[in-house]
Amino acid sequence: MNKKLSKILMVLLALTLVVAFVPACAEEEPVEEEETTTEETTEEVTVKAAMITDTAGLGDKSFNDLTWKGFEQAESELGVEVKVLESATINDYEPNLQELALAGYSPLVATGFLLTDTVSKICVEYPDTMFINIDGFFDPVPENVVGVGFKENEGSYLAGVVAGLATKDTFDSRLNDKNVIGFVGGMDVPLIRKFQAGFEAGAKSVNPDVQVVALYTGSWDDVAKGKELGLSLIDQGADVIYAAAGGCGEGTVRACQEKGALFIGVDADQYNTIANSGDVMLTSMMKNIDVVVFDLIQAMVDGDFPAGTMQVFGLKEGGVGLAPFHDFESKVPQSIKDAVDKASDDIISGAVTVPEAL
Amino acid sequence: MSESREVVPTQRAWMSVVQKIGTPIISTVLAIAVGSFIIWISGYDPAEAFAALFKGAFGGPRQTGETILRSTPLILAGLAVGYGFRAGLFNIGAEGQLMMGGLLVAWLGVQMAGLSSVVTIPTLLVAAALAGAAWAFIPAILKARIGAHEVITTMMFSHIARYIVAWLTAGPIKAPGQIPQTVNLTESAQIPRIQSLFSEGALEALPFLNLGRAHLGILIAIAAAVGVWLVLRYTTLGYENRAVGLSPWAAETAGISVQWTTVKALCISGALAGLAGGIEVMGLQHRIFDQFSAGVGFTGIAVALLAKNHPIGIIAAALLFGALSAGSGTMQLEAGVSQKIILIIQALVIFFVAAEGIVNWFIRKRQKEAASSAE
Repeated sequence: MNKKLSKILMVLLALTLVVAFVPACAEEEPVEEEETTTEETTEEVTVKAAMITDTAGLGDKSFNDLTWKGFEQAESELGVEVKVLESATINDYEPNLQELALAGYSPLVATGFLLTDTVSKICVEYPDTMFINIDGFFDPVPENVVGVGFKENEGSYLAGVVAGLATKDTFDSRLNDKNVIGFVGGMDVPLIRKFQAGFEAGAKSVNPDVQVVALYTGSWDDVAKGKELGLSLIDQGADVIYAAAGGCGEGTVRACQEKGALFIGVDADQYNTIANSGDVMLTSMMKNIDVVVFDLIQAMVDGDFPAGTMQVFGLKEGGVGLAPFHDFESKVPQSIKDAVDKASDDIISGAVTVPEAL
Repeated sequence: MSESREVVPTQRAWMSVVQKIGTPIISTVLAIAVGSFIIWISGYDPAEAFAALFKGAFGGPRQTGETILRSTPLILAGLAVGYGFRAGLFNIGAEGQLMMGGLLVAWLGVQMAGLSSVVTIPTLLVAAALAGAAWAFIPAILKARIGAHEVITTMMFSHIARYIVAWLTAGPIKAPGQIPQTVNLTESAQIPRIQSLFSEGALEALPFLNLGRAHLGILIAIAAAVGVWLVLRYTTLGYENRAVGLSPWAAETAGISVQWTTVKALCISGALAGLAGGIEVMGLQHRIFDQFSAGVGFTGIAVALLAKNHPIGIIAAALLFGALSAGSGTMQLEAGVSQKIILIIQALVIFFVAAEGIVNWFIRKRQKEAASSAE
């Protein structure tokens, strides 16, 4: 018995050594050569674009996935070589950026304001590499960086108009007469306060007496917390909930399904990204990150990359907007749709200025 | 007759050493084997993946530095969990003690700006250890006085610590700007990077000294490991700790206060975890923010388990886990394998270490067979 076991162990051990270590040693030298060749070939015409995610990673159904969508489009339409590095922990931001810069990728797209510090630091070390930081704010902007900002308050204003009118309406049996709507935020930071400010302003513009209750999860990926806060908001009378909380929003969707409320998604058209959410998904406030990322990679290919600038995208520039109503398309009264169109026109024309903070 | 009596003990001693070192090594090898299989069925080349992983962990001075950097807090967190285990305590909340250590350092370090680093750094290290010990003290008292299980209490305290950090960094001690974090520590409060000790010329002449982000905290971590080893082996404190861990009833009978030893053990465990957090802030992050530790306290549990709570073994286990973490980026870049495979390998290592019981069962069975055949 024991002999058998030790034989099995020996075989496994030998196999592992063969599989794992021998090729590792054998490949060491060629690998070094590879590094030097990539450094030499950076002057090639093909653009090599790479993305590094924040810790939520790919599969967050909003922010990171949208950025990657822009990359996939760039790969198929522009023939650009693309790569993604996920960051398992915050300690990976710096080495991931270095790794990609050394491998000759440019531009490097870093998603999220949590990476802004790291980008500011690394961009100095690699002056020939271009950096794009989504939601990154730089003042002054380093000459090889593009900071991408969105006027989320403008898109959220439209979401507020929908929520403010819907909570008074009766087009769905889940809408009550308490005149309360809810907001679920991620981390309590100025960026998310901007969503909340726009949402509140939009709701109050069409329904001055509406009560907006806002709660924050303190996280981008705590789905359970998103659900908990959703349930709590419904208990407080909210019948339409807008979540700007990254991956937590999926939990809020489940809360709405359980207790009967309507949901407004964020970043992507979450009707498509959160499975089986159509019965509560009224609309989504879209940040068209994919379009912006694609445009910037195209600019890189065309040679007119706007290095050293902040690029801010609002309603006017098509950077933000509302998703279709999907399953609610026939239920939502025309009066709400007209109000959204009017608010949108007013913002674009400048007749209405949406506040950025509460 | 007398001959065989002499042979048996030496054979046993040798067996126990083999068993001690053998299980972790076999577990690691098996974990890598199963990991390779998983990479292979996911449609990637395991050889390429591990080659890239190795390159990312040791392929050059910067990569080696990254491995050292990531091993540093893991050594201390591993020691924290391991020291508790030796007293029969499972300090699953090392993460919380680590955060409190980091929090106090991030705050106190800013207050001490302007003082010489000769004063600042030792003060901050002591502060970090005290903060960790204090955070472990309440669970320790609860355990000693009313028997509240430390797995529950330290875990709950770890959640409390996380939300305290999230709240303080988003409000009361937040630096100006978008991001919820504290202001940077001044240079006098930072643990210097290893490469900063050498002149530009020396670095050019000896490129292997260019260790990137690795900092001198590694020396503190190694010193702590040696210290814990000495304490466990040669002091009354360590003896009592081990005695309570092996059998609280026997220890009590022998006149050791189990309650007091429990309190001391958890507080020392907390102090080591606090030190891990403090060094992470002083050496790497230079500030604190929500989730700054990246789960080091939890990985510390795995490190202690793999090393079977032996302080010197913990250094080796921490290096392994540090290397896995440091190399995972390159693995993803060059072989396309998701970094999450590293988490799978870590879990497999623990799985196989835990499966040691099965191996022991075989050994005992064999001994019985040998004994019966001898008769």
